Amino acid sequence: MRIVLEKRDDTSAFAAVLSPVIAVLLTLVAGAIMFALMGKDPLAALSTYFLSPLQDWGSIQEIFVAATPIVLIAVGLSLCYLSNNWNIGAEGQLVMGAIFGGFVAIVTHGVPNGPWVFPVMLLAGMLGGALFGLVPAVLKTRFGANEILTSLMLVYVAELLLDWLVRGPWRDPHGFNFPQSVMFEPEALALRLVETGRLHVGALLMLVVVIAGAVVMGRTLKGFEVRLVGEAPRAARFAGFDDKRLTLTVFALSGALAGIAGVLVVSAQIGQLQPTISPGYGFTAIIVAFLGRLNPIGCLVAGLFLALTFIGGENAQIFLRLPLDVTRVFQGFLLFFVLACDTLMLYRIRIEREAAA
Amino acid sequence: MTLLEAIILTVITASTPLLIAALGELVVEKAGVLNLGVEGMMIMGAACGFAVAILTGNTWLGVIGAILAGAVLASVFALLTLGLAANQVASGLALSIFGLGLSGVIGASFVGLQREVMPKLFIPGLSDIPFLGRILFNQDPFVYASLALLAGVWWFLFRTRAGLVLRACGENHTSAHALGYPVLRIRLLAVLFGGACAGLAGAYLSLAYTPFWSPGMTAGRGWIALAIVVFASWLPWRAALGAYLFGGVTILQLHAQGAGLAVPSQFLAALPYLVTIVVLVLIMRARSGASAAPAHLGTPFVPDR
Amino acid sequence: MSVTRRRALLGLGATAGAAALGGTAHAQTPLQAGFIYVGPVGDFGWSTMHDVGRRRAEEVLGAQLRTVHVESVAVPDMERVVQQLARQGCRIIFTTSFSYFQPTVRVAPTLPNVFFESATGTTTAANLAIYNARFYEGRYVQGVIAAMKSRSKQIGYIASFPVPEVVHAINTVMRGAWTIDPAMRVRVVWVNAWFNPGREADAARALIDQGCDVICQHTDSPAPIQLANERGVFGFGQASDMTRFAPRAHLTSNVNNWGDYYVERCRAVIAGTWRPGDTWGGLASGMIRLAPFTNMTPEEVGRAERVVEEIRSGRLHPFAGPIVRQDGQTVIPAGQTLDDNAIRAQNYFYQGIDVQMPS
Repeated sequence: MRIVLEKRDDTSAFAAVLSPVIAVLLTLVAGAIMFALMGKDPLAALSTYFLSPLQDWGSIQEIFVAATPIVLIAVGLSLCYLSNNWNIGAEGQLVMGAIFGGFVAIVTHGVPNGPWVFPVMLLAGMLGGALFGLVPAVLKTRFGANEILTSLMLVYVAELLLDWLVRGPWRDPHGFNFPQSVMFEPEALALRLVETGRLHVGALLMLVVVIAGAVVMGRTLKGFEVRLVGEAPRAARFAGFDDKRLTLTVFALSGALAGIAGVLVVSAQIGQLQPTISPGYGFTAIIVAFLGRLNPIGCLVAGLFLALTFIGGENAQIFLRLPLDVTRVFQGFLLFFVLACDTLMLYRIRIEREAAA
Repeated sequence: MTLLEAIILTVITASTPLLIAALGELVVEKAGVLNLGVEGMMIMGAACGFAVAILTGNTWLGVIGAILAGAVLASVFALLTLGLAANQVASGLALSIFGLGLSGVIGASFVGLQREVMPKLFIPGLSDIPFLGRILFNQDPFVYASLALLAGVWWFLFRTRAGLVLRACGENHTSAHALGYPVLRIRLLAVLFGGACAGLAGAYLSLAYTPFWSPGMTAGRGWIALAIVVFASWLPWRAALGAYLFGGVTILQLHAQGAGLAVPSQFLAALPYLVTIVVLVLIMRARSGASAAPAHLGTPFVPDR
Repeated sequence: MSVTRRRALLGLGATAGAAALGGTAHAQTPLQAGFIYVGPVGDFGWSTMHDVGRRRAEEVLGAQLRTVHVESVAVPDMERVVQQLARQGCRIIFTTSFSYFQPTVRVAPTLPNVFFESATGTTTAANLAIYNARFYEGRYVQGVIAAMKSRSKQIGYIASFPVPEVVHAINTVMRGAWTIDPAMRVRVVWVNAWFNPGREADAARALIDQGCDVICQHTDSPAPIQLANERGVFGFGQASDMTRFAPRAHLTSNVNNWGDYYVERCRAVIAGTWRPGDTWGGLASGMIRLAPFTNMTPEEVGRAERVVEEIRSGRLHPFAGPIVRQDGQTVIPAGQTLDDNAIRAQNYFYQGIDVQMPS
């Protein structure tokens, strides 16, 4: 007896919605068992993970704040992965964007400035991220160097560069020689949208990017090109699409988005440059991109959901004394089930009896 | 002991876990599967290996425990990506998160304990030869295992029929299936082997390199191993070159600092990564551009009826 | 509403009620204290010792205190965690990393009824206190011991980052060492991490291979001292007593002792006497201790203990003048002492240390 996967002729919309729901249900069951084995109340644990972040307005804002950098990057990565460009270095592009944007904040510190500072920071961040994203792209198109390695190695390089800048040339002269830049002035901070919370303009940017991404992917020739180059490179070449130019374009674009995310993180959540600014947003975005099935709207949903679980995990530490590692295990379960259930969408499962010999 | 000898010995220690994990992942990728969960499997190996060694008092049992832990975690990955044709990149990343968390849960009761360092090989006479003797005959068993693995993987992939079939699965799984080869079963064995190697590499960290457990002690080595596989263009001996290059530059920059070299430490720390990129580009120029990735790397295989 | 939150709100209400009644009875409901760690609780270094302090506070204050801790909180997320802790009813929150300081400064005014304690912070505010330990006092003693034990006259220092805390620690180790033997030298390796056992071990190997026979570490894992043990040289542990990792190599460790401070501050909140302050305690107040001296002769122990006593009593100040920089400039002459702010900001090496300051 064995399990056979039979490809469906077309993916029904019903299955597309059903699969994440089943995944979450399975996670609830698995999680409940795990928590019960650990001696914690399963219902309390599960409600902490999934419901507690929704309990008040401030917390819901936090979901958007946490999701913003991840979703922004994920949309860009979707473009890359669909066209077979494996950009694993979004984390480095985020850092580079933060460096470029932070530079603007630092040079305008103490000098009379205006509301133009923040948009300039965003532009600078886009530039920085895009340039840094072009490095693995150029190495790929000119030398055939595999972009998985080059983009990954450059993450470490970007982090070390930030470290050096913040300890050296950009160190706050009045900061007791601690490794930090000056505190960004109010003009350099992301505009808050609400008085009583941390929701900031980045969330709007995120929505704009998601919608723009969906339009590009679904309705424009570029989107078609991206998908064709990824699925059938030879056909794409016959159609006149230049895959090398596309590589440069998508890397620059995803780098720019990561750069924006970087600027938002330092200006909305930290308020200065420090040696470490990101807990791995660039890598989390990779997961979000795939959970979202490389579709911008999907990325938004997946990003918000994942942010929910991160905050839920924090709350679990606070309310239930569940260690962070348990949260990671639980998230692993969730991801496994979502990925497994996605198979339902693409394949029908049949149990087949072995034919008698 | 001269400084050169000491440096070589340290480089060997630093490079060995990278080499072991890279060789395992190389086989996996040659079979057409991309498993980004190396970091998770490695740290599970470190945690379980240490735990078993403490509980049983026997380092070798710890090593076996680590290998099994890596393989078990790999089997979860295999179930997802081979059994259910799930996306390999996401599954691998999920595995890394899961492994990191699970290792912390398992290792929590073993923080603050330590074991004796694994004894090194000692052959009277041979090990005493100045310089070469220590380097060749006075290493701990993991180093010899890594070299045996290197030879074994190379021989298996390029000198046996089974290896040829495995590579065929990676190059074109449809044709391999049409020829009657059990593609999924071959990939499963490859994935388990990769997990075992990653677990073994983790055991090295917690039983020989720094014989204690601490959360996150792999510190990104799994990712470096993945990069080394790519750097190696999926060739075993080139993986060894990559591992030793990376380990070597890492150690040399520490020595440079100790000797008082007046270069920013961050730049020195970035050298291993930069050098890896530069060397890769030079290699690619030399072979004029053709990528050596198995053509069907990362695409799930679902047999049509 | 979750059960715990309801309980916390009731708790706050009860406390308010008790206070309104003149507060004759001790508040029945316990004080909630929150702790935010930058690393995992099990890192056996910085965050572990803060957690040890937290547990000690729970132990001492018993039913009067209930603590909550969150580990491995990234800087962008810290403000969110603070808000959640405050919502949970925490009235005092300890943010235990320098990287949290500026976010703490920003969030403190938005929660005027919560008291904040920032470890290694630099300025105070109406509801923000800072605290730190004078690790350098322990380093001075380590330097004295190192000079007594070293045969090669070279100390190996595994440094994390070129921040003032590490730089003045290196300076102080050498200051102490020079009181025994002015020919002592130091070699420094920057591992660019507070915690990375593999790299720390590699750094230790490099330093030992280059001839150092006493290892000081400013990083958190037991790897360097374990390696020192393996290689037959001496070493000092960090943050906690690491004797069991290196029975033959371990001389002593700086032991971070935050528990007493935490008890004192929580008590102050309970009694309503909390005031913002800048606490920088050393050997005298017990915020740092030295692990029992091991692998030393009785004369060496006696010498070390005398130095400890001199520091404790204030007769010896590790930053007393004259202090001369590497470039020959005199910072302060004999008879003066560097003030706390200057110590906090020290980013130059002393003359006699051949290490370049990484730019």
